[in-house]
Formats: sequence, structure tokens, C-alpha cells
Amino acid sequence: MLNLEQNKSKIVVIIPAYNEGRELQRVINSVLSHGIFTVIVVDDGSDHRLDSVLHQPSIFYLRHRVNLGQGAAIQTGIEFARNIEADLAITFDADGQHDAEDLPALIAPILEQETDVVFGSRFLEKKVSRMSFRRKMVLNLARLVNFLFSGLLLSDAHNGLRAFNKTALEKIEITENRMAHASEILFLVKKHKLRFKEVPVHISYTAYSSKKGQSGLDGLKVFIDIVLHKLFG
Amino acid sequence: MTGIKIILLTGIVFICLYIIIRLKRKLLDLVLLFSMIALAAVFIIWPGITNSIAKELGVGRGADLVFYISILIFWFVVLKLYVRIRTLEQSFTDMIRQDAIRKADKLSK
Repeated sequence: MLNLEQNKSKIVVIIPAYNEGRELQRVINSVLSHGIFTVIVVDDGSDHRLDSVLHQPSIFYLRHRVNLGQGAAIQTGIEFARNIEADLAITFDADGQHDAEDLPALIAPILEQETDVVFGSRFLEKKVSRMSFRRKMVLNLARLVNFLFSGLLLSDAHNGLRAFNKTALEKIEITENRMAHASEILFLVKKHKLRFKEVPVHISYTAYSSKKGQSGLDGLKVFIDIVLHKLFG
Repeated sequence: MTGIKIILLTGIVFICLYIIIRLKRKLLDLVLLFSMIALAAVFIIWPGITNSIAKELGVGRGADLVFYISILIFWFVVLKLYVRIRTLEQSFTDMIRQDAIRKADKLSK
């Protein structure tokens, strides 16, 4: 097993956040508890500045002056990560659905130089707690759509937990500001011939994260965005 | 000249004036615009012409032909606008992003 204490790479965790409350603080604490990560919070134009509710030892706080969407926030985090010469970047949702305990396993394949990109997947192992049947259907449909457009069939379509090595970090340019960025990342992986791997991660659907999550109608919007992305680039 | 002809002709005259003011220097656009305006004027004054063109093209009535062409033009315009909005959104995003990165704060206790 990997010894994270001996790791010399600069690893950043990008947390895109929009109108989050105390949950964000808990998420940041759980990530920082590993002691090896640099946290970058990208506040995507929340109604009130999020740094006023955060009391953190050394995290980077970036704020979009207006709300642009999660894709845009992640790309801002990626550009900032390049600026501070990160070797590895992780994207992590702010709503508490991801588990910071999964991070070492997520980055292991990159630290061992097996792969360029790692996708977290909630379906590789039976680790899903409290997911509705409808959400499962929507996710399966999304997988299929991603496969049709990118040629990559992943076990999980829209998982916000991912890791990129330096090569991937240099190449990923997300132009889809809203939720279609998850599919766009697959297109970019394919386009730049990046190696990728899926790693099982734990997702918990709390009442809070479900409220902030996507509905079936959002899925349709994402689909339209993907089609338009393919048509107009 | 019937009432509808006057209304439609006044309409295109206004559109024409508006566009001329906006595109003073773009010659090609002006030529294209004037041919379309002239065509519109001809169709309004002698609507019978659209009927004969429509028959040639296998469409029942001249009005239908104009309608179908309008739909095509409508979609063309929608797509052009969409592309423009995307380009605008991209430059807007870049501005917001650079601003956020420039002002990045390192929070400490």
C-alpha cells in the first residue's frame, strides 16, 4: 500500500461551491485531516461570500463574481492549480456526498504512474447508500449517452470525484460551464488519449446532497448541452 | 394598393432603415440586404409571382412557399445567435475566471 506521508507531490483538492453552508466546512475539514492536500475552494458566485463562513487554516479561496456553473468553477480551479504548480488535482463535491476516506485510493493509481486520470465510481462495488431507483435509471441513461458521444463506457457517468495527474491537468480545458462538463471531460480524455481508470468510491445521499443534486429534467438539459457541444464545439 | 400591402411595405422600409444605420460600412451585407428587400417589395406588390414560383417548386400556394422559406431563415438566425451567445459566454467566463484567479485569497486562521 502507498505511503502517503512519504509523498512529495503537490496535491490539490478543488471544491466547487455554490451557496453552501456549514456542510462545506465539514467537507474541507475531512479533506484537510489527511494532512497532505492543498484545498482550493472555488466559490461560484454564491449570494454571500463563502469565506465569511469558513474558518480554515490555509486554504485557497477563489470567487467568481457571478454564477457560471460547476464546470466553469472546476476549470477555474484547474487553472489555479496549474499556476501553483500542482502535480495532481482532485475534484471533490462541496455537498458532502463524497468521502474524504476514498482520496488515498483515488490518487494511488496516479502516484504509481499507472494512469493519467482516475474517475471515482459508485457502481464498482456495492457501496451506494440510499439511492433512489429513478436516480439509478437517470445515471444509467447518462452512461449510455456518454458512451455514444465519447466511445468510453464508464460504470458511473456523473461522479464529481476525479483525479488528474500533471499531464491531464495541462490538457483539460473545460468549456461547458454547466453540468455537461462531466461528459466533456470524457471527450477530452478521449481526444488527448489520456489513460484512465475507475476506482470505487463511496457516495452518500444525505437529504442535503439530494436537495442539491440533479433531477431527471436536469439530465435532459445536460443531454441538450452535450448535443450542442458536439455540434458547435 | 390594399391595406396589407401598405403595412408590409412600411414594415420593410423601417427594417431597412434600421439595418442601414447599423451597418453603414459593410458593403456585402448591404447588397444582400437590398436584394432581399427588393424581392420582398416585389412579392408584396405582385403576390402572383410567388404563386408561379411556388408551382414551379411543387408547393401549392405562394404564401406557403414564403412561409417555408421563413422557417428556414428563422432556424438559420437562431443557430447564428446561439453560436454568438456561446462565444460571448466563453469570453465572459474567461474574464470572470481571470478575475477570480488574480484575486485568489489564501485564508488562514
